[in-house]
Parts: sequence; C-alpha cells; structure tokens
Amino acid sequence: MDSLLGSNPTLASNPAYSFSKAPYNSAADNKEHAFYPYTDNGGSTLGITGEDFCIIAGDTRSTSGYSINTRYSPKVFRIGGDDETGEGAHIILSVVGFAADGTALKERLNAIVKMYKYQHGKKISVKACAQRLATILYGKRFFPYYVTAILGGLDEDGKGALYSYDPVGSYEREQCRAAGAAASLIMPFLDNQVNYKNQYLPGTGEGHDLEPRQALPLPRHDVEQLVRDAFTSATERHIEVGDGLQMLVMTKNGIEELYHPLKRD
Amino acid sequence: MNHLPQAWGRPRDDVYGPYDASYLQSGHPQTHTKSPIVTGTSVLAVKFQDGVVIAADNLASYGSLARFTDVKRLRPFNSKCIVGFGGDVSDMQYLDRLLNSLDVVENYSSEGHSLNAKNLHTYLSKVMYKRRSEINPLWNQMLVAGLDGDDKPFLSSIDLLGTTFSSPTLATGFGAHLAQPLLRKVADDESKVAGVTKERAIEAVKECMKVLFYRDARSLDRYSIAIITKEGGVELKEDEQLEGQSWAFAETIRGYGRTQEV
Amino acid sequence: MFIARSEYDRGINTFSPEGRLFQVEYSLEAIKLGSTAIGIATTHGVLLGVEKRVTSTLLETSSVEKIVEIDRHIGCAMSGLQADARSMIEHARVESQHHSFHYNERLGVESCTQAVCDLALKFGEGADGEESVMSRPFGVALLIAGIDEEGPQLYHAEPSGTFYRYDAKAIGSGSEGAQAELQNEFHKSLTLEEAETLVLKTLKQVMEEKLDSKNVQLASVTKEKGFRIYSDEEMSVVVERLPTN
Repeated sequence: MDSLLGSNPTLASNPAYSFSKAPYNSAADNKEHAFYPYTDNGGSTLGITGEDFCIIAGDTRSTSGYSINTRYSPKVFRIGGDDETGEGAHIILSVVGFAADGTALKERLNAIVKMYKYQHGKKISVKACAQRLATILYGKRFFPYYVTAILGGLDEDGKGALYSYDPVGSYEREQCRAAGAAASLIMPFLDNQVNYKNQYLPGTGEGHDLEPRQALPLPRHDVEQLVRDAFTSATERHIEVGDGLQMLVMTKNGIEELYHPLKRD
Repeated sequence: MNHLPQAWGRPRDDVYGPYDASYLQSGHPQTHTKSPIVTGTSVLAVKFQDGVVIAADNLASYGSLARFTDVKRLRPFNSKCIVGFGGDVSDMQYLDRLLNSLDVVENYSSEGHSLNAKNLHTYLSKVMYKRRSEINPLWNQMLVAGLDGDDKPFLSSIDLLGTTFSSPTLATGFGAHLAQPLLRKVADDESKVAGVTKERAIEAVKECMKVLFYRDARSLDRYSIAIITKEGGVELKEDEQLEGQSWAFAETIRGYGRTQEV
Repeated sequence: MFIARSEYDRGINTFSPEGRLFQVEYSLEAIKLGSTAIGIATTHGVLLGVEKRVTSTLLETSSVEKIVEIDRHIGCAMSGLQADARSMIEHARVESQHHSFHYNERLGVESCTQAVCDLALKFGEGADGEESVMSRPFGVALLIAGIDEEGPQLYHAEPSGTFYRYDAKAIGSGSEGAQAELQNEFHKSLTLEEAETLVLKTLKQVMEEKLDSKNVQLASVTKEKGFRIYSDEEMSVVVERLPTN
C-alpha cells in the first residue's frame, strides 16, 4: 500500500486507513491530476517494406504494470475490410501504447476508410489514408491518442509503403520502423539489418573513405526472419514483450496473417 | 491494475513519483468521481467447455472498514450474460441502472433477438471509454461473462480507462495478482478451454476465492458465483459460504488464534 | 392547371398531388433565363465557354465573371442567378481544400459535383431539428469541368440536386438550340482546339448580340496546365479563327 499510494495524505486518510504516514502536501507543484486518463499497455510493433510487399508485426501481450492482462490481444489490424473477418482490406495498421486509445483510433480510421469508398467510389490509397490518419491524430493534439501508429500497404505503383507516426500526427514514409516498449531495442537492429547502417564494404578504403554497403529492398522470406529474430530478442530483454507474434503481410494478393508463439515468461 | 481501486486510473508511483492529492483541497463542489469511496474487491472468471464461471465476494469496503457485507456484485443481464463489478460500488449501481434501462429498451424494440455477452461488452467498453475521455470516469473494472453470437463461451474485461482485453481466465483487483496465476494452470490458452469441464472450472474458482479470502484484507468468505451455459442460462447463487477453510496456522500466532498467555 | 398549382407553391417542400415540387421546377426555369454556357469534354481536356451579356457599352466586361476556378484541377461555368452560384462555389472550394488537407490528394470531379449537389436540397423548413440553410432552391445551374485520375470530365449540376456527366452540354437561354448543335458536331476524337471553335460557333448561333472577343469567355482544364481562363489575346486568336458568315 505504501509503495503504491506513496505518502499521499488524501488517499491514505480518505476514507480512513488504519495506518498513516507523514502528510505529503506541496501546494507549490500541482503537477498531479485527479484522474490520469492514460495507461501503458506495453508491447511492441514493427513494420518493414519490401519491393512488392509490406509487413507489420506486433507481439500479442497486453500488460498493466508488472501484470499480464492477456497473452493474446492483437495490435495489428486490417483497415477497410469486413467487420468480422477483415476480408477485402487493403491497408494495415498497428497501434501500440494505450490500448483503449489504440482501439478507438483503429475503429475511427476503419469507419473513415469505408466512408471514403462510398463517397468517392474508389478504394482509398495508402498515401491518402496516411494523411488522413495524421489529421485524425492531430485533431486530438490537446488530448492525444496515446499511441504510436504504423500504417502499411501498397502504393499506387504496387510497391510496399510504410508510414510511421507519433501520437500527435507527425508522420513520414519509411522502409522500416519499430515502435512501442522495445522500440529502442529493435530499431538499431533494423537500422543495421535493413538499411545496412554501419556496414561498409571491406577494402574500399580507410576511415571516411570506406564505402557504405548499399541497402536494397529485402526479399519477403528474409524480412519475415528478421521480424521473428527482432521479437524473440526483444522478448528476452523486455518484460512487456512476449507471448505471441502476430504478423500481417500485405501483397498484391491481399493480406496474409501469420502467428508464432513467443516465450511467455 | 492492482488490488487497490484508489490507485487505479492514476499515474504509477514507480514511474511518476508519489501521488499528490492536494488537488482535492479545492473549495469547489466535486461532481466528478476523483476517487472511489465504497469499493468491491476481486472478480474471478474462467471459461470452460460450454460456458463460463464467474465469482465475486459480497463485501463492499469503506477504506479498510468492511462496511456492507451483503452486496451483490454479479449482475445478470439476461440469460446469456452476466457482469461482475470491482471498484466503486456507487458507480456499479449507476451502471446497473444503465444496463436495466438498456435491457428495457432492447426488449421493447426487438423481438426474439437479445444482446449477447459480446454485444454487452462492446456497449460497456464504449460507456467506459466515453466517460474516461470526459475525465469523469466510472471507477470500476468489470468482467463480462457469458455467450457470444455463436453461443460460444465469452469472457472479457473493461476498466475505468476503457481498456478491454479477453482471456480464458480473468481476475480483477487483488485477484489479478493472486488468483490469475492459479487460474492459468486450468487454462493458459484458448485452445485449452475445450478440455476444461464445468466441475474443474468451478473448483478452481472456489479455490481461488479461498486463497483471496486468506490474503486479501478487503475480502469476505460469503460470495456470489454464477455459471453461464447455453443449456442452463445464467445460474446465479448469491449467498455462498467459503468451504474447507483452514486456519490451523493461526493457532501458533500470538495475539491471533492463541489467547492471552505470557 | 395554373390554378391548381398555386396551392402547392406555398410550402417549399410540399409535393403536389401529381408528385411534383413546383419551387424546384421553377428554379429550373430561372436557368432558362440565364446566359448560355457550354462545356465540351475531349480526351485532352475540358473546355468551358459562356456568353457575357454586355447590357451596356459602359459595362466593364472583365467584371462579368461566369467561369470560376474551384481548385487547380476543377473549374466551373454558371447560368442563372449568379449570386446563388457564389455559395455553391464557395462550398465546392472549401470541400476541395478540405479533401486535399485530409487526404493529400486532389478531390475527384464527381465527388466535387456531389458535394455541390448535397447543398442544393438544403432549402425549406428543415425537418427534425435540422437547421435549414436556405429559404428557396438555387436559381443556378453549373457546368463543372475537371481532371482527375479518371481523365477529363464534365458534369452538369442542377438546382434539384441531380447531376449527370456529359461529353458536351449547353445550359441557359440558348441551351436548346446549342444542345442540338453539339449533338450534331460532337465526336470522341475532338481536339481541344476544335472544341474551342465548336463552343464559340455554337454560342454565336444562339447569342442575340454579335459575338466578339469581349462578350464571350473560354476556359479549359487540361492535365498540363490545370484550370485556366483564356486571356484577351488568346480569345482574340480563337475568335479570329471562326469561319465568318
């Protein structure tokens, strides 16, 4: 109790508790709020594009503090498809952070993407959807959706497209992005293994003369293996990551879903 | 979420530092729930082959005072679903009235078709998320147990932030720490649910209620338990007594079981 | 007929027993009083042409604005009560900006037309707490020309809120004669230059005044240049090209 409520006079005395601590009351700093409308549900997500595909993956663990809420709570969703099955969707979205905001955001974007089709008589492009997601997020600039979103699909030329966001809607198109609890663990791995950062061609010179290894779009099989490696490693090092790995793979033939178990400890 | 409803919905102390409640000293009248007053503790539930078992004790605490000892925290909605409430009791009663009026409206406007547990869970999650977004939360965590649209077992949780999740076994409050690990031994995966019998599920829930009574200071040995199946509908028993308690250990503790001796 | 009609002219949203909305029908009449406007869609782009009724020699003809830009890729010509067109065009412009802000792409021509038409029926008493915007239907018809990924398109939007896509369409006082002419002369392989001539030739036939480079106006929407109103010099060139008779 002490550790959780700290030395809080009101919580420790109203209603009365059978123990008390020296009153903690600093009128000077009123940084705390009566009710804090956010929580962190942990987990991590990751997206990588290839020449003609796009993969977004996320672990399926949901946490609150040190507790595991559930071992299967998907963070990657199909957008613009059938309500139950997701059939017909052509965009994928992952959300990580505060799960309730994530769900609300997903449902809102889904409704907008469907309305777009009715109003304009065509499927929304990933580019347009990406911009719309940014305006949705920015629309709540002063009460943000506390999530890091990654949006993926195929662009007008059939190439893999991936957009990553911050909670208030800053976004950019990228080749790969990790988000969530283990982003700081996964992202450097991706920089090295997808964009070949810090990889140089041996014998091309000394120091700054060394020629960097040129990054090329990776084949799907390699990307899938990278994703699995990223998550098994993150599971080892981060307590909020684990249980299961859900992957959505978008190709010209539609969206494929893959699942791999992760360690549950 | 932990076993202290007072700490729910607040920044974690380990992340944000000790909680300063000086905000409560304002002279203005309070209309929003800023902290729960009378609270209920854990709710437990387990899915089995063809239904769900759910249980909660009958205690409503006022801080550390066991204030009301006959409060029913399982609220049957119809023959397909039941809601178990943890957290603030007045907010629970508000939600109860809300669900009653929803039930009345549904019964008037539709024939034959009734809301299933999944529908109810979605409804409650929207209510809770809306209220948290207005910074006027309903200070509860709930388990919705019952049958979904295909009459398959359904079990899911909603809390004051609008967070939802589903699992073969669920427990709120103190139960999330004490009971959930025990319940996961019964079914730690959705695929295991088909192998769990009704008897096994009931036994596990009752055992956990006992463990909670031993260790949770805000718990009671009188509890409600409900079994929801397609055949039996909602079978709710609201005045159960914990059986087979063992307080033998207390005999050796001075000032507890042992009476005055020097 | 006329006696029976007046009964149902009061309520603006009231159907007559024959199932007609007289005020809407009258609004279509207002357009027939307007100056003629013509649009032609070719594979290279869409052409719009209007007659400017120069009622006085003292009138500054450049102030008669009957072709306006909605966005870089959509333009429109009007016939009827010009003031009414202002609010429709304002709506279309806002909708177009709104779309590119939210979606980072240009608004489709059909979607733009639909947006304008959604506005058209917001007249009358306003039912069920819904705030009514206008007291009567619009008295103006629009020819909306634009280019999107579907190519060059021409739409005709009426005060009734209906719209159709046309290869070539004439509206306003001279529309009957002009439409018949377009019917005869239009073909799919028309070039933009041929369309310029056809528009002016058709206008010339139906105009009361003698056509010159001051009392007509042309605009085009092309993939390369988007929406563009012809300059005085360009107008002179096209008028020069017309066969004299």
